[in-house]
Amino acid sequence: MVLFLIASGLSLIFGVTRVVNFAHGSFYMLAAYLAYTLAGALPLGGASFYVAVALAALAVGAVGTLVEIALLRRVYRAPELYQLLLTFALVLVVSDVVKLVWGSENKTGPSAPGLTGAVRVAGQLVPTYDLALIALGPCVAAALWWLFYRTRWGVLIRAATLDREMVALLGVDQARLFTGVFALGSLLAGLAGALQLPRVALTTVMDAAIITEAFVVVVVGGMGSVPGALLAAVVIGVIDAFGVLLLPCSSSGRGV
Amino acid sequence: MGRPEAQGRSAGGTIIAGREVAVPRALIVGLAALLLAIPPLLPTFYVWVLVEILAFALFAASLHLLMGTGGMVSFGHAAAFGMGAYGAALLVRWVKAPMLLALAAAPLAAAATAVVIGFFCVRLSSIYFAMLTLAFAQIAYAIAHQWYDVTGGDNGLLGIWPARWLASPVRYYYLALAASGAGLAVLAVAGRAPFGLTLRAARDHPRRAEAVGIDVRAHQWLAFVVAGFFGGLAGGIFVFLKGSVFPESLAVAVSVEPLVMVLLGGVQSLAGAPVGAALYKLLDTVVTRYTEYWQLVLGVILVAIVLVFPRGILGTLGARGRG
Repeated sequence: MVLFLIASGLSLIFGVTRVVNFAHGSFYMLAAYLAYTLAGALPLGGASFYVAVALAALAVGAVGTLVEIALLRRVYRAPELYQLLLTFALVLVVSDVVKLVWGSENKTGPSAPGLTGAVRVAGQLVPTYDLALIALGPCVAAALWWLFYRTRWGVLIRAATLDREMVALLGVDQARLFTGVFALGSLLAGLAGALQLPRVALTTVMDAAIITEAFVVVVVGGMGSVPGALLAAVVIGVIDAFGVLLLPCSSSGRGV
Repeated sequence: MGRPEAQGRSAGGTIIAGREVAVPRALIVGLAALLLAIPPLLPTFYVWVLVEILAFALFAASLHLLMGTGGMVSFGHAAAFGMGAYGAALLVRWVKAPMLLALAAAPLAAAATAVVIGFFCVRLSSIYFAMLTLAFAQIAYAIAHQWYDVTGGDNGLLGIWPARWLASPVRYYYLALAASGAGLAVLAVAGRAPFGLTLRAARDHPRRAEAVGIDVRAHQWLAFVVAGFFGGLAGGIFVFLKGSVFPESLAVAVSVEPLVMVLLGGVQSLAGAPVGAALYKLLDTVVTRYTEYWQLVLGVILVAIVLVFPRGILGTLGARGRG
């Protein structure tokens, strides 16, 4: 489900702005590290983890907004190569900033208070936190659906995915729409990263690992399609899980 | 109505269509003379740096044929470099091939790979072309990384040294200079030959090019193979310089390096590639001496190129020269 969160953000950004955002994985990593620091620093007892996750996601959403306004907005008209290189430059910068601030040794985050146990499902112990994440996925999907199909902004986004120029001709402020979409996409990546905190060790290469998987999901699901991303995330997740069982060394051989 | 005519699907993308910047011939001859005369006087370390620059100048120039002349932006050119490097290293390791033979095999291995990869990639349009080349490079990386018995996995292949009579730094330098210089010369000729002009036509207007009877895909495919060939030669030079090869030579970073070099130097002219490669490698050498955060510096340089100097050094200088 984390894969869905990150892939839906990536797909959303590509669908509307036509920018392939390499930095999406970096936003994810940044959020995980931010949540790690915040969860340790906030004096809120059990709630500090959840507040930290929310704050980290919002902070990364804000970073994404800034990046869009300061950098990406200037290159929408430039050849795609420049957009790719710009987001790749962000990958390099974020990765070194994370090393600079948090150091390059692996970090293990706190577990989520209240969701630390495990539940027996069909004879297997499954961490409660994973079940909560599985439940969260459809909730986020539903929220996105509501946003896209029940709000004016969602209509604009869907229209822009289909035909950018027409939307602009109809008098929609594209700059604001793009900024909003980029903020939402970064927020989703941030949420995904922050939620990974209790599950995986934080490493400085987690950006590259997740972006490859997210790209596969986005391409399989159809570039620009959020429902496609949901379906593909489930399919790829299952294939990955069984693939590791059947072909132990195939895990990084997934091409697009 | 106001829209540009929809273009047919083709691998070519729009890249800045600027005027080519001509580099005075005297400058090239002078530089070549300098490169021939100076190395015996330099400390060994700088001779190694020069060899590395030569390898990457060729690597970047081979990419220039694809992205500058052909308009096909590859994000997986590391596949050519890595296949060349691994091709040579595997021959030395498993067949005990003599060094020169292995070096000659490097571009062939890379070109053979490019035949396969290119076959699929030139069918796609710009951004999908970039993603697919990236995917193929990742597959090659995964193979090199996981096929322990043959490639040594992350341990790489060690002890791939030049033949004894070439082992001294200066002698190896002259070999690299000859190989890289010849490669650059061929690429320069190819860019101006009818082949290069045809590629440009296909880049600027695929549909019109097709209408006048050019087989766009075949030419783009051929360009992909030629670029792969010289990328592989660069990889071969590199492997005997380092004496080893690791899966990292197929990683994304190696695909992006020549892109940065070409853009840094200026995408309009082939001369931009070696200029960019030299500047990039010198910066790399200097910056890593002071800080371990080379990626941070590189990222900032990239942002600056994209936002401020999209035409690169030669393009910016050329525009100023014309006033």
